[in-house]
Amino acid sequence: MERSDTKQLRPGLWETVNERYPGSMITKDDLVPLATLDKALPESRVCFVSTAGVQPIGTLPFDTSHPVGDYTFRRVPTVAQVSDLEIHQLKYPTFGAEKDLNVVFPIERLQELARQRIVGELTSNFYSMIGYNMDPERLEMTLAEDIAAAVEAEKPDVVLLAPA
Amino acid sequence: MSISVALDITLKIKPPRAVFVPFMMGHLFGVPFHVKLQNEIIMSALGRITDATQSGDIFFFSKTWAKARQEGKKIERERSDLTSCYK
Repeated sequence: MERSDTKQLRPGLWETVNERYPGSMITKDDLVPLATLDKALPESRVCFVSTAGVQPIGTLPFDTSHPVGDYTFRRVPTVAQVSDLEIHQLKYPTFGAEKDLNVVFPIERLQELARQRIVGELTSNFYSMIGYNMDPERLEMTLAEDIAAAVEAEKPDVVLLAPA
Repeated sequence: MSISVALDITLKIKPPRAVFVPFMMGHLFGVPFHVKLQNEIIMSALGRITDATQSGDIFFFSKTWAKARQEGKKIERERSDLTSCYK
């Protein structure tokens, strides 16, 4: 499956993190059924969910120093400008995102795709959290459920999930 | 639809559809100001929404990180030159 020119730059991430924080990494045994899109992309409503820790300036910063993580999320209005947003996150290199936020949170590209009618429209908000959450049960039972409910209320046809 | 730079984690999590991008963490959509590359990654993901035929589908984005960085540096140089012109 893996081709030589498309290898993961930092291999063994799952094992490394799970060794450092035992039991923190999630494994699934089964595949979920494939949902099908019942309309064309130019008619579809698109949402974006990220673990990049991107948030509107002025909202409560993610708690990046808590030892087990921050199980909250932030709404990012899809009409926001990049200059309205900031990153609170410690666990990935941000040197690219500091120059151009779109490398991790491509809000301008998605706004353009909606304007060009390549996708139908964007939901009112995108969603953001931090990836450093070391209690997988709490993550699944609270944060994942909370975001899923919030995203579902936006009635998207397509959701792009982007771990940073 | 998941977009990932961590193939091993994607294989463990088993999302129904994924695009694996062989880039550095924090650079899921490429390099700064490389609009074309950022769009290509998004469009690869959107394409799998309709093209994937079975759950567990993983699409391998073919551009290497080295090539992406090379292109990104050129774009940043050009931006820098353009800015200098107006100073």
